Amino acid sequence: MNKRLSRKIWIHTILIMAFGLLSLYSAAFNNNRVSQQAFFDQLLFAGIALALMYVLGRSDYRKFYDVAYVLFALNIFLLLVVHLGGRHALGARRWIEWGGLSFQPSELTKLSLILMLGRYFAHRRPSFSFDFFSTTSLIWWNLIYPFLLVLLPLLLVFKQPDLGTAILLFGIFFIMLFISGLEYKYFLALLSFVLACLPLFWKLLKPYQKDRFLVFLNPNIDPLGAGYTIIQSKIAIGSGGLLGKGWLAGTQSQLNFLPERHTDFIFSVIGEEWGLLGTLVLIYGYFMIIQTGLTIAEQIKDNFGTLVSIGIVAIFLLQVFINIGMVLGLCPVVGITLPFVSYGRTSFLVFAVMMGFLLNLSKKRTIF
Amino acid sequence: MRIKIIRLMAYGFFILLIVELIHVQMISHRYYFDLSRDNRIRVVPLEGRRGNVFDRNGIILAENRPSFNVSVIPQEIKNESEFFDFLAEALQVSASSLQKRFQARKFAPFAPVLLMEDISRKTAIALEENRFHFPGLIIEEGFRRNYPFGDLYAHVLGYVGKADRLNLEKLKEYGYTAQNTVGKSGVEEYYDSYLRGGVGGLQIEVNSRGQQIRMLSLKSPSAGQDLQLTLDHRIQQIAAQLLSGRQGAIIVMDLDNGEILSLLSSPAFDPNVFSRPGMTQADAGYMFSNPSSPLLNRAISGQYPPGSVFKVIVSLAGLETEKIKPETTFFCPGYHPLGEGQFRCSHIHGDQDLSQAIAHSCNVYFFYAGSLVGAELMQRYARMLGLGYPTYIDLPYESSGHIPSPIERKLSRHQGWYKGDTFNMAIGQGEVLATPLQLIRMMATVANEGREVHPHVIRSIGAEAVHKYAAKNFIHLKQQNFQLVLEGLKSTVKLPTGTAHLLDLDGMAVSGKTGTAQSSGNRDNHAWFVGFAQSEKNRIVFCVFLEFGGSSLNAVEISRDLLLRLQQEAIL
Repeated sequence: MNKRLSRKIWIHTILIMAFGLLSLYSAAFNNNRVSQQAFFDQLLFAGIALALMYVLGRSDYRKFYDVAYVLFALNIFLLLVVHLGGRHALGARRWIEWGGLSFQPSELTKLSLILMLGRYFAHRRPSFSFDFFSTTSLIWWNLIYPFLLVLLPLLLVFKQPDLGTAILLFGIFFIMLFISGLEYKYFLALLSFVLACLPLFWKLLKPYQKDRFLVFLNPNIDPLGAGYTIIQSKIAIGSGGLLGKGWLAGTQSQLNFLPERHTDFIFSVIGEEWGLLGTLVLIYGYFMIIQTGLTIAEQIKDNFGTLVSIGIVAIFLLQVFINIGMVLGLCPVVGITLPFVSYGRTSFLVFAVMMGFLLNLSKKRTIF
Repeated sequence: MRIKIIRLMAYGFFILLIVELIHVQMISHRYYFDLSRDNRIRVVPLEGRRGNVFDRNGIILAENRPSFNVSVIPQEIKNESEFFDFLAEALQVSASSLQKRFQARKFAPFAPVLLMEDISRKTAIALEENRFHFPGLIIEEGFRRNYPFGDLYAHVLGYVGKADRLNLEKLKEYGYTAQNTVGKSGVEEYYDSYLRGGVGGLQIEVNSRGQQIRMLSLKSPSAGQDLQLTLDHRIQQIAAQLLSGRQGAIIVMDLDNGEILSLLSSPAFDPNVFSRPGMTQADAGYMFSNPSSPLLNRAISGQYPPGSVFKVIVSLAGLETEKIKPETTFFCPGYHPLGEGQFRCSHIHGDQDLSQAIAHSCNVYFFYAGSLVGAELMQRYARMLGLGYPTYIDLPYESSGHIPSPIERKLSRHQGWYKGDTFNMAIGQGEVLATPLQLIRMMATVANEGREVHPHVIRSIGAEAVHKYAAKNFIHLKQQNFQLVLEGLKSTVKLPTGTAHLLDLDGMAVSGKTGTAQSSGNRDNHAWFVGFAQSEKNRIVFCVFLEFGGSSLNAVEISRDLLLRLQQEAIL
């Protein structure tokens, strides 16, 4: 049983990576803004990622339970470092330079948050509540304190500014909170609280972020500015049709009509060059990983394991949905990468670690 | 349990994505595919070379000269200040004005911005040599209309410009767009469909910056057809010299076939101004608000009282209706009483017969003759001889003039017609209005004894001679009546007392009629001479019109110079 699950993870991860590498090659092909180096970079990191998955798959994941809080604290520290003196690029402060390597702590936050929340919620099951815990203290311990804990990195990431990751972090918290078994009424209360805060949140947005939301509602208000990317990406995907224009033959991507086509908008390159067939194969890969992750979560009889695998599934699901959705114009453009396909080294490694966890969890069903 | 809910959520998300993908990639595929094709394929319309225009001897009157425009692609400028400093120096304008223009016209980082139009070839070559350092720089080569003789042919040729809203309303059906150059008046407008080149196009594949990647197909535009006009550059030059500094018109036409040899209206304008970018304030002021309205083609669009020239028609009408006979005489005491006032004549002519009355331009004779014929019949004969209608010369914006009559006045203005009106009409005053072209054609018809020519300026289109103007119309009046009037027209020149005796020149036979017409307002009279001259070489009919030119003698003097110069040039 567990062999079958881990094989599924391996197969579909490699499928997605291979697809991603082919597309990245095409996206960087003859591109004077992105060098071909990006492809070889990604190829190298794919090798490292597979090795990492293998190693993590064989180690004892309880070790991560032990380091969860430390890792989270370290991550907060790194985010502060970025905040105070990170590398500035593309109008945001997201990177830390370290001996020629650059590193994005906000990507790592996804992982550390999952581990931290996994460990925290693993011991707080409101359904097991004893009478001597008052309802108020339950709310404090099960909802408010974890929320405040999440808010800390979330605000730091939001400040970078990295709206996409901030939304993802909140999404992870939300889904893991849901799985932690919090009563529905409190859950709904949190939901309505967040909705009530949205207007306030709108004020905090930078002008270009506001533009993106407005353009999402109607891309044609600024077809040459903020709406350009979304219009061109939709044209690219739609023009691909059933079988696509062929690898390296997409006119939208090869003639530079698609900005950011090697990172956030790489899905449109796939849609144009591989057609519906290609996009469905890719989506199938993601779908299988998510399904396998959920099966693993169901099988584990250990709260921490369940929560971590759900967290991983959540981040995967959200990133895939928001990224493809934004390329298709279903979601606003918030700058979220497509796992294992978009160019980005930190992101690539973090996802590899997550897959390693899933491999690991697929083997150990119960821990006592 | 809660994991199941997450699973359901995942299903929902994926179904949503798949449905949208199917929608975009299958159902709307055609739509997006067309958009992607439009994205990368540009059709660059190419306008064919506009036809040249020549005079009857092959002298070029309108041609195309190469012209160069400077554009820049915003996102390819590396160092903006360096770039603009370089351009400013090369184009000899200030960098700040260029930058201002750049900011005002820029709309997308990849769309070329037009910075300067119509730079010299030398500057263009200098810029081209530096394109390596400034990759965003684009030098576009095109053509502009050029009129080597400037204002000499302004009214005949007209000018060209980009099609405006009015042009498009008329010409849209014929495939004109706002990018097309279109003739705006004169021959350029009338023969635009021949002159304009066929539209071709270049299909190119471009990248997102609009840079050409490769050429996909080319349909070469066809060149427009050259035109040869009936005008004679030598006569046009002479006419221009004679009219310079005056307001008026000169037309010279071939008596036998209606070919316009010269058509000049003064003051004129330089049509090249319209082909150059950015008309200056001074040019615009001169063209559009100068009281002498230089844009008006006085030869065909100006309507003036013909004065005594109209007496030719009254004579014909009188003879034809047998109200007067050639030997009929009227006594001219220098005026004709009417009611309490009197209508004046230029002299005390005494007894005058028809021939003398024409030669002396005796008003009193024509007051009698006009009263006998009556206004209605004068109008009828005037119209028969082409007044009150356009001549349908092959130039746009021709006026039709105006010939009044009692009934028409009653109908249009509810006013009565009085004896004085008939008197005024008989001497071509009052409401009688005619264009110089109408009068020259009328004179030609009389000279040809009823054979009416069709005035035209076209001689051949491309290699084909135009024959359609050869057809002639006949005005069915009695031959002998024409001869009687011609006798009078000849006496005008031959009689020592004739009003145009100055034109009694050696080597040619000149006939004609003078006219001094009162202008509206307190300005000087208009001076006319419309006549024809025959020599062994040629038969021409000509009209000299001086707006506010004073006495007809001035027109006669210019006519004399004209004829002498034509003789010198061996045209007559």
